[in-house]
Amino acid sequence: MTNATEQYLELAGGRVHLLRGGEGEPLLFLHAAGGAGTWLEFHRLLARGFEVIAPDHPGFGGSDEFAEADGMDDLVFHYLDVMDGLGLDRPHVVGASFGGWIAAELAVAAPRRVGSLVLLSAAGLRLPDHPVADLFLMPPGQLVATLYHDLAIAASQFPAEPDLDFVLAQYRDLAALARFSWAPFLSNPKLERRLHRITARTLVVVPSDDRLVPVAHGRRYAERIPGARFAEIANCGHAMHVERPEEFAEITAAFLGERSLAASS
Amino acid sequence: MKFAFFHLMPYPYLPEDFDERYASPSLTFPNKHFDPKLGTQLYHRYLDELEYADKLGFDGIAVNEHHQSAYGLMPSPNLMAAALARRTENAKIMVLGNAIGIRGNPLRVAEEIAMLDHLSNGRVVSGFVRGIGWEYFAHSINPTRSRDRFNEAHDLIIKAWTAEEMFQWVGPNYEYRYVNIWPRPVQQPHPPVYIPGAGSTETMKFCAERRYTYMSVYAPARVVRRWFDGYRKAADDLGYVPDPEKIAFSVPIYVADTDEQAHREARPAVEWLYRKGLKQSPQMVTPPGYMSLSSLRGVLTAGLRPFAELSYEDLLAAGQAVVGSPGAVAGRLRELYSELGGFGQLIGLFAIGPSTHEQVTRSAELFAAEVMPELRSLA
Repeated sequence: MTNATEQYLELAGGRVHLLRGGEGEPLLFLHAAGGAGTWLEFHRLLARGFEVIAPDHPGFGGSDEFAEADGMDDLVFHYLDVMDGLGLDRPHVVGASFGGWIAAELAVAAPRRVGSLVLLSAAGLRLPDHPVADLFLMPPGQLVATLYHDLAIAASQFPAEPDLDFVLAQYRDLAALARFSWAPFLSNPKLERRLHRITARTLVVVPSDDRLVPVAHGRRYAERIPGARFAEIANCGHAMHVERPEEFAEITAAFLGERSLAASS
Repeated sequence: MKFAFFHLMPYPYLPEDFDERYASPSLTFPNKHFDPKLGTQLYHRYLDELEYADKLGFDGIAVNEHHQSAYGLMPSPNLMAAALARRTENAKIMVLGNAIGIRGNPLRVAEEIAMLDHLSNGRVVSGFVRGIGWEYFAHSINPTRSRDRFNEAHDLIIKAWTAEEMFQWVGPNYEYRYVNIWPRPVQQPHPPVYIPGAGSTETMKFCAERRYTYMSVYAPARVVRRWFDGYRKAADDLGYVPDPEKIAFSVPIYVADTDEQAHREARPAVEWLYRKGLKQSPQMVTPPGYMSLSSLRGVLTAGLRPFAELSYEDLLAAGQAVVGSPGAVAGRLRELYSELGGFGQLIGLFAIGPSTHEQVTRSAELFAAEVMPELRSLA
């Protein structure tokens, strides 16, 4: 069963909206700036072999504001609360872009709570020589062109004439992103020197044509995380798990399937 | 009715290909297009115009704050106010305002306004603004904190001006262990506060609660009417009727000897202001979190057309510019006075875009001599 059911998790600071589906070892998926509240093809494919749990971050999608959370440290504690609330002791953690940054921070702060780690075009590092493009300043057309390699696929992801509710929902998601990442811009300057703390098996995946987060970020993650594996996928844009879901679900599932959570604990 | 002469201090010398090449004169418009020699001349010319407005009998002369923009050359309005303080006699020196949403150190604003109050012998007016959307990019301030930073900075500044004992300030955005400003302001309990509003009901309530002057910014009269009504309603909810002077209508004004001359000269200037000066993308206007969802919903459903789509005639008809001979301008302002349900202050933007010094001074002279007396008794 690879469809999702919708759930809410009550925490002290508010309600978390999440989608979950599939059977197998638990896989916590942390979404990118876009994609909150959406059961993607990528999730459906992963759910063939894992129990995929995809919560919306604070202020995103169907989750409450959690207005007091305004920094990455708050998000790390938030996800520890989410894991406790869901009884996830040590799941696989897969994060894309902004969610990849959260996943890396979680694995730094609580190494024993992350069974294995997959970072997909992850943000989070501050590399001044390889600046992340300013998505906040991009008009929608330019943003789409920045996120996707194949613009035909990109076009299918967005309504041609968005209605007011869609525009407001997008604005809310973007505001939540800005809350955590306006300055320092999409990064934690201290993250890089803390990456050595990660003990989970780690796979870092980057798309070769990432116009938002330069490939150098993924390489740096792979260099700094002990034993990390690195894969660069040709002809693909930043939103790779949306653009080419089969390929990235397969790469992710193959890596996670190599060793069970029980064996790697 | 009171009258203020408001200066934006624009840099009008945009390149020929500006319209095609640049998304805006702000934020990312390369500063290689700023010619320092012309810039020096502009500052002196513009300060001369403000000083002249004082001599002409305007009740106030007004400056404001903008960053990284050819739209307005005043990153520090307090510096401009200081330059005016000792060269003017009577007019209120109106700083409209300090962008305390983006300032890192609100205590510095409290100190500078207090100094200006002394330099001007108690003539300073202290406006506070959040700062325009693009300025949150320019100064790397998180726009999701904008309102919270504005509110806290405001509260701190007022307390710094009025407390008679040293105090400590601990808030989410600012922490000071010793607040004890020298000098204290001349005007007691503190200089008058003006807040520009753009439709947010939070701002109307904020102003009404504190009996601050609420001023409009570029918008069609039918929309400004809703804002003014909102402010009057907020005051009514608190059980009082606001003093007319606490409602300020701001609008570009151009007066010439005849209607024909006025329109011929004002058309390119007004078009420059709305099509070039105010040209900016939605991302620059409303960076993420800068507006609440309910305010954004209000803006998106208000039926406002982008400035670029408005013709000169549209702008005149909507009350977004007032142009003509003295008689025509007085007549049109009377109409707008009724349309807006009244206001007690008129803040005129007299130096519009690429208007020349001669045009601006003549316009101000005609306004002071022939329009002001006509309207003085309105409110």
